[in-house]
Amino acid sequence: MRRRPPRNDDCDGTTVITTTELTKVYRTGDREITALDGVDLHVREGEVFGVVGQSGAGKSSLIRCLNLLERPTSGTVTVDGRDLTALAGPGPRPGAELRRARSRIGMVFQHFNLLSSRTARGNVELPLEILGVPGRERARKATELLDLVGLADKARAYPAQLSGGQKQRVGIARALAGDPKVLLSDEATSALDPETTRSVLRLLRELGRELGLTVLLITHEMDVVKAVCDSAALMRAGRIVESGTVSELLATPGSELARELFPVGGRPARGAGSTVADVTFHGEAAAEPVISQLARTYNVDVSILGAAMDTVAGKQVGRLRIELPGTFENNVVPLGYLREQGLTVETSDGHGPPETGGPQKTAGGETAHAAHAARTARTEEADK
Amino acid sequence: MSWSEIEPLLLRGTLQSLYMVGVATLIAVLAGLPLGVLLVLTDQGGQLRSPVVNKVLGAVVNVGRSLPFVILMVALIPLTRLIVGSFIGPTAAIVPLAIGATPFFARLVETAVREVDAGLVEAVRAMGGSTPTVVFKVLLPQALPSLVAGVTTTLIAVIGYSAMAGAIGGGGLGAVALQYGYQRFETGVMVATVVLLIVLVTLVQLLGDAVVHAVSRHDRAGGGAAAGTGWLRGPRRRRVAALGAAALVPVGLLGYGLGSRDASGGDRTLTVAASPSPHAEILEYVQRHLARKAGLRLDVRKFSDYVLPNTATESGEVDANFFQHKPYLDDFNKKKHTHIVPVVDVEVEPLGLYSHTVHSLKDIKRGQTIALPNDTTNEGRALQLLAKHRLIDLKPGAGQEATPADVTDAKGLKFKELEAAAVPRSLDDVDAAVINGNYALESHLNPSEDALAVESPRHNPFANFLAVKDGRQHDPRVRTLAKLLNSPEVKKFIERRYKGGIEPVFGRVPDSRS
Repeated sequence: MRRRPPRNDDCDGTTVITTTELTKVYRTGDREITALDGVDLHVREGEVFGVVGQSGAGKSSLIRCLNLLERPTSGTVTVDGRDLTALAGPGPRPGAELRRARSRIGMVFQHFNLLSSRTARGNVELPLEILGVPGRERARKATELLDLVGLADKARAYPAQLSGGQKQRVGIARALAGDPKVLLSDEATSALDPETTRSVLRLLRELGRELGLTVLLITHEMDVVKAVCDSAALMRAGRIVESGTVSELLATPGSELARELFPVGGRPARGAGSTVADVTFHGEAAAEPVISQLARTYNVDVSILGAAMDTVAGKQVGRLRIELPGTFENNVVPLGYLREQGLTVETSDGHGPPETGGPQKTAGGETAHAAHAARTARTEEADK
Repeated sequence: MSWSEIEPLLLRGTLQSLYMVGVATLIAVLAGLPLGVLLVLTDQGGQLRSPVVNKVLGAVVNVGRSLPFVILMVALIPLTRLIVGSFIGPTAAIVPLAIGATPFFARLVETAVREVDAGLVEAVRAMGGSTPTVVFKVLLPQALPSLVAGVTTTLIAVIGYSAMAGAIGGGGLGAVALQYGYQRFETGVMVATVVLLIVLVTLVQLLGDAVVHAVSRHDRAGGGAAAGTGWLRGPRRRRVAALGAAALVPVGLLGYGLGSRDASGGDRTLTVAASPSPHAEILEYVQRHLARKAGLRLDVRKFSDYVLPNTATESGEVDANFFQHKPYLDDFNKKKHTHIVPVVDVEVEPLGLYSHTVHSLKDIKRGQTIALPNDTTNEGRALQLLAKHRLIDLKPGAGQEATPADVTDAKGLKFKELEAAAVPRSLDDVDAAVINGNYALESHLNPSEDALAVESPRHNPFANFLAVKDGRQHDPRVRTLAKLLNSPEVKKFIERRYKGGIEPVFGRVPDSRS
């Protein structure tokens, strides 16, 4: 399995969250558990960045180290230009400066963590109380924020009277109370049903755009990344094993994240002696009639075994599993043609393309035959 | 006792109980709350993690909780004196009650605060909240229902403690039950106090539950889930009302305490410590019928034990006492280095030999068991009584402090030594028992009819007298009381009331032992 090293910040836009060599070791008795093992993370301004991984991968430790709820064992955390690890001071208790910095980092939690003794508005007012905002101003701002998350009419309801999705909206309103530049989301939708998850994610995405927020979310659900993330990172055993913008990842052959994000099914029909390849269309290439061109140009019979078409981070992406007659060696040229068209091609027998080292630029085009074909194919694979 | 006699007793007892319990619980809550919160904060994973502080606090709380309340109460007497100026009375009882209840409540607070979801603390820390923010905005508001339940539990525990406080002059319903119910076999009073205590505990529990219900209303997705505006008004008003009512109770009690203190104050009042029966009864007779005419104001404080009345007299917390006889006082003065002197003899409670099975002295035979009081003087007296009637032989020269070791010939009898007050209760288990006159009377034995043998009241060294600290004999109030206690009215009262169980013995206390 190929893995790419953690991607360095090579794009435009300022980096809002940076961690360097972030390490967290928990000591219980004489046992040591390394939760974070040298994590370098770069989140650019205005993007929604998803960190995925199975439970125990270190996601929770990572997000808690970002606002120093957990003190990193070593390494630095810089949020919005401030080195939080330097603000922390030597003692176990957070100083006033770190507390002030935290109030500018919103956080949303899996179990909402709303005070059951306060109304929705009371909960949103809490961070404002901590910031010392006077009462009238607090009430005004809280009402405004509840309106922003679509809960203006529930301001006086107690959490026990709200549904899960409503509670999380209150949680989001609360996280926004300190006018944060950064929003941390700790599995914010994991306790919600799919329908509610979608609406909460949509809200996060819209708010991110409207308010110019940078959102870092951790999740174990690929659908979340697919729905809202501009960039994503995969964590395993305390390390980031893959990271990049979603389109980069999709364009990266062998990317685990891409495969997880966008699984394509379909078994070879002809069995041995044929070549199966997974082709990813993204960006403009998705609109090109490449498959029919391939068939015409090289006079091969292309079978479509499976296909999926979806919107990832607001962009059309298609994946196609095709089968060509003949062995891989016989099909080098047609496959090369597809790559030339800006598609990502992976062959299932391990003959992937050479490492390209970065995202590929996609070519432009007008027609939408391939996309159409893929869409048609998707209906056959609808249960995938 | 008739209901008209019982009623004021119960009313006074109830008010005193409420006052002691209410104020003591209020103090325990104010002290236990920070203690309990600190126990959580300093613990592993807490905001103020400090293993040393946590261990020390934990140890203090555990010591406080493991001391039996009676022992705590006696051990705290010096502190109580320092704070209240006296260790007698409901106000003084508040000190040990509050100190005993504080660690109890602290543990309840600790449990309640630990139950608060750690996620909430994390959320507030993530907002930039400081430790005080976490405590006052999260831990306490979220734990409020459990805290209120804890206050209820503490109140009820303190009601239990307060009964014991009654035994050292604290007053209250517990004292009424002990003195009238247990020691005097007034079943009616006992039942009434027990019922009152049950009612009191039930009311406290109901009130506590109502407040818990009111403050935890918003934790339930109740009928008002459709968030209008109307649903809020009711619960919130009710919640405020419930909290207000709960807060008013201790305030009202404090007022009662201050008020009642004024009522019993004043320079002219003579405070006398006495055993509940017969001494306090005789004093109350004087108080009711004779004192006013003589221009004397009496405050009678009842004690079930025989040490505190003397210590209180020595320290000046009471002006006089009336419960003891000369041999006891001499011994006490010698051992405790006190300077208490007798003023005037009042009565004697002759010891008698009683039996449920035997009807004459002649029927007492070998192999039978006789119950004796186990304290030095009463046991000596009992053995002397038996020796006088030839039931046993004593060593020549064995005096008032004779013990079973001085018996040269028990004539086959066996002895069972019991606390004086408990001897009457043993009558069904032994063949005969030597019982003090007052206790005999209380267990409905008539000394002049039922006793097989009785001590002679004449020249009896065990006459009970009024006593004061040396130097106070000439206080005009003491002299007035002495005169009243030796009046014909009191003589008549004693004879009528105690029917020979207690004999009036008036006059100066003889200096030397007979």
